Amino acid sequence: MVSSEPEKLEALREEVRAFLRENLPEKWGTPAYEPLEAGSEEQVALSKSFTKKLYDAGYTAFGVPAEYGGIERPREEIAVIREELRRQGTPMPFVGLGRLVVDTLLQWGTEEQKKRFLPPILRGEVYWIEGFSEPNAGSDLAGVQTTAVRDGDEWVINGQKCWTSGWDYGEWGFLLCRTDVNAPRHRNLGFFLFDCNTPGFSRRPLYQITAEAHAQYGELFFDDMRVPHENLVGEEGRGWYIAMTTLIAERGGGQVSAASGETGGMGLGLFGTRTIGGVDSLIELARKTKHYGQTAWDDSSFRRRIAQIAIENEAMRAYGMRLGKMIMSGSASGNEASMAKLTWTEQGKRRGDMVCEMIGAYSQLMRGDPRAVDNGDLVFSMLMSRGTTIFMGTSEICRNILSERILGLPRG
Amino acid sequence: MAIELGLNEEQSMLKTMARDFLATEAPKTFVRQMMDDEVGHSPELWQKMAELGWQGLVFPEEYGGAAMNFRDLTILCEEMGRAVMPGPFYSTVILVGLPILDFGTDEQKAEFLPKIANGEIVCTLAALEESGDLWADDLHFRALPRGDGYALSGTKMFVTDAKAADYMLVAARTRRTQDPEDGVTLFMVNANDFGIYIDNMTVMDLTRKQYEVRFTDVPVSASNIIGELHGGWPILQQIALKASAVLSAEMVGAGEMAMEMTVAYLKDRMQFGVVIGTFQALKHKAADMYAAMEYSRSLMEWAAECVKEDDRDAPMAVAMAKSYCGDAVKFVTDAGIQLHGGIGFTWDHDMHLYFKRGRYNDTTFGDSNYQKEWITRKLEANLM
Repeated sequence: MVSSEPEKLEALREEVRAFLRENLPEKWGTPAYEPLEAGSEEQVALSKSFTKKLYDAGYTAFGVPAEYGGIERPREEIAVIREELRRQGTPMPFVGLGRLVVDTLLQWGTEEQKKRFLPPILRGEVYWIEGFSEPNAGSDLAGVQTTAVRDGDEWVINGQKCWTSGWDYGEWGFLLCRTDVNAPRHRNLGFFLFDCNTPGFSRRPLYQITAEAHAQYGELFFDDMRVPHENLVGEEGRGWYIAMTTLIAERGGGQVSAASGETGGMGLGLFGTRTIGGVDSLIELARKTKHYGQTAWDDSSFRRRIAQIAIENEAMRAYGMRLGKMIMSGSASGNEASMAKLTWTEQGKRRGDMVCEMIGAYSQLMRGDPRAVDNGDLVFSMLMSRGTTIFMGTSEICRNILSERILGLPRG
Repeated sequence: MAIELGLNEEQSMLKTMARDFLATEAPKTFVRQMMDDEVGHSPELWQKMAELGWQGLVFPEEYGGAAMNFRDLTILCEEMGRAVMPGPFYSTVILVGLPILDFGTDEQKAEFLPKIANGEIVCTLAALEESGDLWADDLHFRALPRGDGYALSGTKMFVTDAKAADYMLVAARTRRTQDPEDGVTLFMVNANDFGIYIDNMTVMDLTRKQYEVRFTDVPVSASNIIGELHGGWPILQQIALKASAVLSAEMVGAGEMAMEMTVAYLKDRMQFGVVIGTFQALKHKAADMYAAMEYSRSLMEWAAECVKEDDRDAPMAVAMAKSYCGDAVKFVTDAGIQLHGGIGFTWDHDMHLYFKRGRYNDTTFGDSNYQKEWITRKLEANLM
């Protein structure tokens, strides 16, 4: 890669700014922005078209070879683009869990699978959903009970999955199933890709403590759903190891959005929230919120907690820089992603609780009440953060991974 | 400007060399010997370090230095933290050598830097007084004009390595105006001068000696002023900035060692018929210790790079590193004692050396709590 000259980079910076002025919705990033309902048709459509624009402008799909639809640019340009997108709190490309499919197929997929599935994901055309968790297999993911039985050129799938984000508008999905009931644990699973229009597939909403009318998560049901053999990723019986690649990508992915204050991250959906993540907005909220006769910002307990969040954000960013170097030199194991996930989700809970303490009695008002602070988004985020420390590997599972796979402590 | 974290090849070699040297020359038997010693300084080891070029690591070659950079220096200090290294390296190089290099005249540099580099002299900073804080309003120690020079009178506290020191860099008030930061002047004083009395303070961290030093009418020449007359406060702030980055590096070294000792113990200690590292309550604490140290290292490396590059983010980066590393080393060494059980509470076990060094480093130049308050003010100012 050739390094670009400073003038060219400045021109690129201007180009990105102009793009965002033109393409971000009016009032984006301000409290006046009226978000569309998460998961609604309009929101999904807007998100998809925006992702397509980002892709066409060359601002996304980095790190993927061009032959699979990726966009290759010099490192310095990518840095400038990301910086500008972050500055505006630009929503992440709306590929849903498709980003995980990209990482997984790059490592395990056949040439055919990569050429077929990757480009539409990167262009934002097809939304993907995940079928990992089951009612009886949460933290113990290797214990999934959904079965896949080989029948000629096809696999017949039966069972149930849950906690699927984007469940209702997903167009394709990936699944972890038991392919051999007799094989030992961790060697008895298969990783499949499936079209949501396949007969035998059905879905229904799973309502959460956030009290949304539109459920962000759902349950998936498979009743003799037939999937062609070409949709098996990797070898039969190797599904666990493939799923590990997916989980590492999933746990690592959230860190970027948490540290940079981007919203519209995983599970929340694009354009479904305001930008409320950054430290600047916390300070602004503290300065305008009266709390027993003084502003929250004049209360040293709030000030210190905001400082702590600012410090942690920089710590995550700096760790990301070190991790990037470790990945390039081959000294990273992938388990580091569990640390990132643990940190940003646990921080999210503390942040949510702190904000609710600041707004006092108003922390009881949910979305829909005209008196709610910031339309109830702050309270919504506080409730939502309770899920983040559970999904994609609970905080406890993350600590097991760190202590066993990095520190080498024995399994109990 | 792009800041790079992690170590390059040369830095990895420096780190390995330092670790090997300290393992041989400063094992825990040596550390404990120095803890029992009133002065806590081994001239023999000081000479060996000088031969390796450590004291003059960042000085230019013309002053007998190795012309390496500040980040390299923090790598060395990280290893010293890991070894809970006693002795006056921090006092001499960080608290006095660096400000002379940054603010001294050519004559002053030529006089002091080669002697520091070749191990001839030990120096320290005498800045704090009764409050124990580096706070301009608390600085009362007086320097009154006397002939061509000044006479120093007053009491300095928490002076590290004063008994080992040949020279002290003394912060004195040369005038009092509305602005307490105005009228502070730094003097290089010969520690053996008549009228200087040094009293031991009974400190918790015996690997870093501290003293109360009383000055009664000690004469000092105007040519020994470092920086401008009345203009010493910004120099003290610069000393605090670099020292805080170095203290953070020591905390990373000390904290990582405390964590490694604890993880090794969890793999070895048997109770209830099993290795205690199988218990999730202990394992999860170990995971939190690991995360705390990884983030500490990340912030410390970022801060050290910012200082090295003289980046405008340096004050914020250092405050964040100092705050986070302070909290982390307190957490990790506390958990280190707890997870070791009874043995961790004994004098003979080394965990308390790390616990106590962590507390010294956190407290010195503003603890984690103070840093957070500073950070909030800075964040607020940046918003406006």
